[in-house]
Amino acid sequence: MSILELKNVSKSFDGVKAVDGVSIGFEKRKITALIGPNGAGKTTVFNLISGFMHPDKGEIYYRNKNIVGLQPWDIARMGIGRIFQDVRVFDRMTVLDNVLTAFKNQSGEIAFVSVIAPWRVKREENIHKARALELLDFVELRDKAMDYAENLSYGQQKLLSIARLLAADADLFLLDEPTAGVNPQMVGKLLEVIRKLAGEEKTVIAIEHNMNIVIEIADWVYFMDEGQVISFGLASDVLEDPEVKRAYIGL
Amino acid sequence: MNYILHIFIMINIYFILALSLNLLVGYTGLLSMCHAAFYGIGAYISTLMIMKHHVPFIPSLLLSVAGAILLSFLISIPSLRLKGDYFVLASLAFQIIIFTILYNWIGLTRGPYGIPGIPRPKLFGIEIDSIPSYFIFSLIVAGICGVLLYLIKNSPFGRVLKAIREDEIATAALGKNVMKFKIIAFAIAAGFAAVPGVLFAGYMRYIDPTSFTLMESVFIISIIIIGGTGNISGPLIGTVLMVILPEVLRFLSIPDAIAANMRQIIYGLLIILIMRYMPQGISGEYKFQ
Repeated sequence: MSILELKNVSKSFDGVKAVDGVSIGFEKRKITALIGPNGAGKTTVFNLISGFMHPDKGEIYYRNKNIVGLQPWDIARMGIGRIFQDVRVFDRMTVLDNVLTAFKNQSGEIAFVSVIAPWRVKREENIHKARALELLDFVELRDKAMDYAENLSYGQQKLLSIARLLAADADLFLLDEPTAGVNPQMVGKLLEVIRKLAGEEKTVIAIEHNMNIVIEIADWVYFMDEGQVISFGLASDVLEDPEVKRAYIGL
Repeated sequence: MNYILHIFIMINIYFILALSLNLLVGYTGLLSMCHAAFYGIGAYISTLMIMKHHVPFIPSLLLSVAGAILLSFLISIPSLRLKGDYFVLASLAFQIIIFTILYNWIGLTRGPYGIPGIPRPKLFGIEIDSIPSYFIFSLIVAGICGVLLYLIKNSPFGRVLKAIREDEIATAALGKNVMKFKIIAFAIAAGFAAVPGVLFAGYMRYIDPTSFTLMESVFIISIIIIGGTGNISGPLIGTVLMVILPEVLRFLSIPDAIAANMRQIIYGLLIILIMRYMPQGISGEYKFQ
């Protein structure tokens, strides 16, 4: 059963087809890798799924509901979480506040409620704080809770954005190059967390360039080139595909 | 003594202006150039309600807040869809339009002649008619506004505004309706800016459009830049400094003819120096970039 399905999705920029008739599905509780050379359209696929761009053609179904045309925040609230290539943590906010911001349905997000019923907001905040600290435990950042996010290492910032998405109650995680620019020790930790996500009933889609990592974690692989999916299957099979070899290494 | 109290009354008025603008500049990261317009809208609505329609003081205050909030939607809904710089331009345009209306709609506002003889505020049958009592009154109003804005800024709502300041796209990707939050923040800031307008009108007992110019908006922004954004102490320090500064200059024997110009030069110099050497302001947490 696919949790997310793209049907014949296309997107052009000034006549250049960035995504060209892509039809792919993503299985629940699996880690799927999206691979391909630079400019293959992988990040555009993420932008289309998360609503930051709208496809020229085609449909995107999440839990059997067409989400094309919805705003990014509506899509996020449905459970699709995204980690950007450049992480985008809230630099001048504490690690804890980064996570607290993400919780859904906070009554204190209505300014009027926080003025007339501050005690109610406070009570809710305490519940969220306890949960946020649990999530920071999960990504091993609890001892950094009161630090500004800008003081974390790049890998720690990626972990923080995973904790943020967990707080936002995301079910589907779009990870754009989760290990790029992260030091080797941290990569191990990140992969462990990503695997734990799949173990916790979450679905993961990752754009990844490091083939060792793809082989290590991906249950399924889609290979994209020039806007099209040209190969898919188990990691080991896809990487042996002569088409893939040619596109990647130019053989 | 009354002279000192007069300065403190002005500090109370500008403190509310600075705190409310801080919600936009320091929290949401929106540089609004039309805060003086809402300040003026507050002053004019309550004055006209009191003098033409004999509305009591407190209802007139509430009406002016409501009016400022409604007018804020006129600019926020179309312009907040646009990216950063365009919002600054739209707010600048709004400031100029409001000033032009106040200046030229003579039938309603008496334009450049201003409105004299505004009655002192009357609360529960007590007229606030002396400077000491007006000081206490303005202090209470500023205190109430301060507490309300403090609660708003430190709430989950304020946290989302900060997140928008830090990264709008990431905030949207966490399921926050960024547009809605910005429109509401702008409306709250506009509503709070109307309150000092009402205080000002009741205190001066005379208003004309020249109190609500673009220069005034810039003055309020410079309070925040100099004091620092993002918390309460920054706007407070900025307000005290910027209101007292011209009074200090008065005691230096600078000829009247150049005093006003000197003031502008010193403000300008102060802003440049602060931006260069203390981009967070004297007591702020957010850096202008």
